[in-house]
Amino acid sequence: MSARDRILDGCDLETFIVCDAVEEGKSLGLRLMAELGFDDADVVFCEMGGPGVRIRLRGYVYRPAAEYRWYDQEADSIE
Amino acid sequence: MNEPKKVLLAPLDPVHDVGLKLIRKKLMDRGHEAVLLPPDLTPEEIVSRALEEKPDFIMVSRALSYGTSELLAKFVDLCDAAGLRPRTKLVVGGLSMRPEMAQELGFDAGFGPDAPAEAAVDYVEGKEIVSIVGTRPRSKVDLTQGYTYEFSDKEIGDLCIQAAKQLLDWAEERTSPGIRRAQLRLEMEEARSKGRSEDVDNLRAEYAKICSGEVKQWYQTGEPVSHTRPLTRKELKEIELLSEKKDHMQFPVSQDILNDYNVFIQYGTGCPEMDAYHSIVSIAWGARGVVHFDPSWGARTEGLLEQAWSHEHDGTVITLDNLNLIKKALLPGTLWQVRAHRGLNTPETVVLAHLAGADLTKINMVYGSLGAGTDPERLVVDGVESMKLAARYNLPYDVVTNEELCGVPAAKAFAGMLVVATAGVLLGGRPFLQPLFAHSPEAIIAGTMDDNFIDFNVAKMKVLSSIIDAPIWPGAPVGFLTQSQDRCQSSVMTALHAALALDSGAIAVTIASSDEAYAGGPITVPARIDTLKATAAALRFFGKGGISPTAEVDKMACDLRNDILDVLNKLVARGDFVASLYEGILGDREDGAYPGRAGRGTVTLKKV
Repeated sequence: MSARDRILDGCDLETFIVCDAVEEGKSLGLRLMAELGFDDADVVFCEMGGPGVRIRLRGYVYRPAAEYRWYDQEADSIE
Repeated sequence: MNEPKKVLLAPLDPVHDVGLKLIRKKLMDRGHEAVLLPPDLTPEEIVSRALEEKPDFIMVSRALSYGTSELLAKFVDLCDAAGLRPRTKLVVGGLSMRPEMAQELGFDAGFGPDAPAEAAVDYVEGKEIVSIVGTRPRSKVDLTQGYTYEFSDKEIGDLCIQAAKQLLDWAEERTSPGIRRAQLRLEMEEARSKGRSEDVDNLRAEYAKICSGEVKQWYQTGEPVSHTRPLTRKELKEIELLSEKKDHMQFPVSQDILNDYNVFIQYGTGCPEMDAYHSIVSIAWGARGVVHFDPSWGARTEGLLEQAWSHEHDGTVITLDNLNLIKKALLPGTLWQVRAHRGLNTPETVVLAHLAGADLTKINMVYGSLGAGTDPERLVVDGVESMKLAARYNLPYDVVTNEELCGVPAAKAFAGMLVVATAGVLLGGRPFLQPLFAHSPEAIIAGTMDDNFIDFNVAKMKVLSSIIDAPIWPGAPVGFLTQSQDRCQSSVMTALHAALALDSGAIAVTIASSDEAYAGGPITVPARIDTLKATAAALRFFGKGGISPTAEVDKMACDLRNDILDVLNKLVARGDFVASLYEGILGDREDGAYPGRAGRGTVTLKKV
């Protein structure tokens, strides 16, 4: 089973990325989300300060009206 | 006077148009013509009005939500199709707008929430748009300036002076290995700076003899202390790079409000390079000062290491090299505290703080001996020497009352703090009073904070400021035992405590990160930014509005003052400050205070 399927809607990842400009930080943030397997990702907030950006990234697993899979794999539920 | 321009202001939003109303006023004040359209028009209706009005600029505002980007892009396409451009420039502004986003959407300019209305008017007048960035103070402030250290409460003042004189007289006749090492360190660094290597070797050998445990082993065999390793060349180079970059760094303008306050954070990840990053990030987000947090074993081992070390666990090893590395990340206006307060290396740490160029230190013999494991006799002897050194080096220091965290009532903790601070003043120093500003065990048991976290904390501030004219710097950090592992809850609690302390007359506060209650690993940088952002927001919220305690506060303050008086009377009647520490007058076993054992039996009488 995919634990990600059990996420209710979206997964936020907030971190600090070392970079020289806000655009670089956003680009790196979106790359990070892609590396983590979030295809539907966005930058919620990004603020440059000091040696990088404080960034909040959002990976949507289900947008409203999507096909939810929360209950599809009950047999595989984590013990 | 610039040529007057015509500006069409269009809220591309169902409701919000306050930003445009403000810009309209500024435009008209500067002689421009401004036409404000009503909210909730479609892009087509706005374009239709633009074709009638023939403006030089169209400024649309929009609070971002679902589909906003598409809506704004459509508006730009419609303007292009209607032939409005290039005669008419398109500008967008809004709470979530950023200049680069405006550019991506096809606008000529964009203004976000940090841009003042004047920036939009400047753009209309063809002035260069300077990017809106924050600033941080470039010069240091003396947080003790203006305080007289005179007692307003003469009854308490007289008792504090009597007790302080007794402890100073007692300490005057005694010395310790910690005091000797501080002298040796000074001599070693002087010899090193003058290239007298033979002298350095001799002094180092003498120093090693009066060290203990793994520190002694390192001096004798070179074997590193457990869980430490030397910093690599690469790490040293990276700190240099960070230092070179810091003068060109941006600071979030949203945090500029903290420039008006003195908010400190504590660093001590274990690694000087990580500390350098944590420090500069915290400074970027508005920290005015940073506090060096050392490993707990450093307080219980005789002697300090040399060279640059990384430590795998909590706390960064104090060496002159480590301090000098971390300093590279600080700005000229950053206040830097190197804590010396609680252990067997207190005097030497004051020496290192001075040599590294720190602005502040921390000295407390009561908490260190009742709550942090150091023998009272040893810490009083070392503490007095440390206060002498701090006075000589012009280093202000705080006198903390963290013994309250063990369960010692505030009255006992404050009596001890006041006596130690008085001794410091008698030695020519400039101490801060550092009351705990938290949900203390005493308050939990007595129920004094059952209704709110305001009254008892404000009562503490009122009592101290009514006793003596001294700077008060609560912590460290504020909000102890009110934070949870939830970062939102933790940040709110920290921010409210910081705002309350500053509103109650504190000259500075030390705040935690939102990881304060998390014990599973090191604090992260986002957790530091969490509480700095929250504190800035809280200070913006309260402004000069203030926070009002309930009527209970006066009774609490009165009771606390009387209890402090009782403790001081007992202390003076006993006539022996050190004996009072052992005997529980400033906190006994039932309170949770246990006289420490580290360094017991090491104090000797000075040779005449």
